[in-house]
Amino acid sequence: MSDEREITLTVNGTEHTIEVEPRRLLVHAIREDLGMTGTHIGCDTGNCGACTVLVDGEPIKSCLMFAAQADGSEILTVEGMEDLPDAGPELHPLQEGFKEEHGLQCGYCTPGMLMAGKALLEENPDPDEEEIREAISGNLCRCTGYQNIVKAIEYAADELDDAERVAADGGALAADTAGDGGPDPADGPLYEADAGDADTFCGREDCCGGPSTDETHPGEDPPAQFDTEHMGGDDE
Amino acid sequence: MKSAPFEHHEPESVSEAVSLLESLDDPTILAGGQSLVPMLRFRLANPDVVVDINGIDSLEYLREEDGYLKLGALARHADVEDSDLIDERYGSFADTAPLVADPQIRNRGTVVGSVAQADPKGDWGSVLIAHDGEVVVEGPDGERAIPADEFFLLPYDTTLGEEELITEARVPTPADREGSAYHKLKRKTGDYAMAGVAARLRFDDDGRIESAGIGMTAVDITNARASEAEEALEGERPSPELFEEAGELAAEASNPESDEHGDASYKERMVDVLAQRALGDAAERAGAVKRRVTQ
Ligand SMILES: Cc1cc2nc3c(=O)[nH]c(=O)nc-3n(C[C@H](O)[C@H](O)[C@H](O)COP(=O)(O)OP(=O)(O)OC[C@H]3O[C@@H](n4cnc5c(N)ncnc54)[C@H](O)[C@@H]3O)c2cc1C
Ligand code: FES
Ligand code: FES
Repeated sequence: MSDEREITLTVNGTEHTIEVEPRRLLVHAIREDLGMTGTHIGCDTGNCGACTVLVDGEPIKSCLMFAAQADGSEILTVEGMEDLPDAGPELHPLQEGFKEEHGLQCGYCTPGMLMAGKALLEENPDPDEEEIREAISGNLCRCTGYQNIVKAIEYAADELDDAERVAADGGALAADTAGDGGPDPADGPLYEADAGDADTFCGREDCCGGPSTDETHPGEDPPAQFDTEHMGGDDE
Repeated sequence: MKSAPFEHHEPESVSEAVSLLESLDDPTILAGGQSLVPMLRFRLANPDVVVDINGIDSLEYLREEDGYLKLGALARHADVEDSDLIDERYGSFADTAPLVADPQIRNRGTVVGSVAQADPKGDWGSVLIAHDGEVVVEGPDGERAIPADEFFLLPYDTTLGEEELITEARVPTPADREGSAYHKLKRKTGDYAMAGVAARLRFDDDGRIESAGIGMTAVDITNARASEAEEALEGERPSPELFEEAGELAAEASNPESDEHGDASYKERMVDVLAQRALGDAAERAGAVKRRVTQ
């Protein structure tokens, strides 16, 4: 009675044709039929957001959609992030942000958080804290307390913004700092180059390469626990 | 848990959908799936046949026409949230959309699906009631419009026939001096309401309330109307005292149950407060008062 049906899903740019029963959830098709287990399942109720993927650019919970309903769609999962045009040589700036800002502990929520963050930055490249919190409001995290997830997304927004400015400058800054005839600045290792960008570099020899607090919050005193090294280095 | 197996049909027109509903045994309509998919998975719903309406492009609309704001059955919560028309003219809709669930669910879930779900905790039913809205349904005998007041019967139960499809939810377009608002109390972002109140006020040229609508969420077995409060408002000028009186009457009309989130008397008190706030916003948006007359 419930015959299998052939569907085509383009996941992270690669087309896959699979046979699914109508009751097959998209999340199970991604994890089990396609073997991409980066997308997690955290609940049975649509509450946790761990299964968030982008379907035709929109974040949705893949446990609340049947695979057959995604027939013909373009899907982005966490596995595809490092290959996006705005990704660096290894990771996407969002992934880099989670790493730099300690945006994860157990990591269970992270793939969903990354997808929610990606959808946000696509629509709003310069979100404020409230907008970030709203964008991840469908994603539960039991570990971090969200603070560092917000910072991770802010980090990515800054990196992508810098990358865009460098690209608009014809790659001048990237060429100055990387100076090695590296890849096109538009999709090259921009966040590495940024460490040497005079605008954001704190000036210390042992600079951690993190975002300069002054740059992030102009005119505001940084919280005491945050990036004191950068602050010291910024004194002129 | 997995859903029980079902047949999946994807009609491309309303008439095709209606003939499927008519001819198939035990069909269930699938819209955004944000309520139905969990119900299928918990096997609270076990249909043999699912009629998926997502391919009926003609149901994707949100527009003003013939004196109504019309939301097609595929207008998603996010479409309402992103609409300039809604922002400009429909305060209660603009308030409600971002308070429904979370961004992912709003991208899929539909306003009409939410009304069809008839969860007393659903937000849109209260908005429809406050606006004297209707659902338009298409069935084997053609089209009919059901007033929101007659639509909700019991939790998850409505007057919709088994072979009928809701094509649209609609509310009359606002008069010049009309405003509306929705206030919702929830434990955290993304939750269903512990209590919610939608209010709509229309004023006459003299600054008196000509018509009032108040719909309540999560405080009765269905979305409910606060009729006594509406009557107390009509013919009067807006004032904090008047809205206090209306808030009390709304609280009296509500019938909440005690649960882990709060006892009934607390929820009644919240209905009172939320009603006053929603009325204050509605009056302000109607241009009837300079600024909110309530706290
Ligand atoms: C975690 C979570 C939080 C939520 N929070 C809220 C909240 O705060 N407030 C709120 O209001 N809702 C909330 N919802 C529910 C959400 O709004 C759903 O989108 C909505 O209830 C159902 O809409 P849908 O389009 O997804 O319908 P579906 O899930 O597809 O269908 C729901 C029911 O309506 C019927 N139906 C759907 N469309 C039609 C139609 N055109 N004609 C006839 N019958 C139809 C279906 O057969 C089914 O019985 C939440 C859901 C989840 C999972
Ligand atoms: S697994 Fe999809 S929301 Fe939790
Ligand atoms: S890092 Fe553990 S759930 Fe978020």
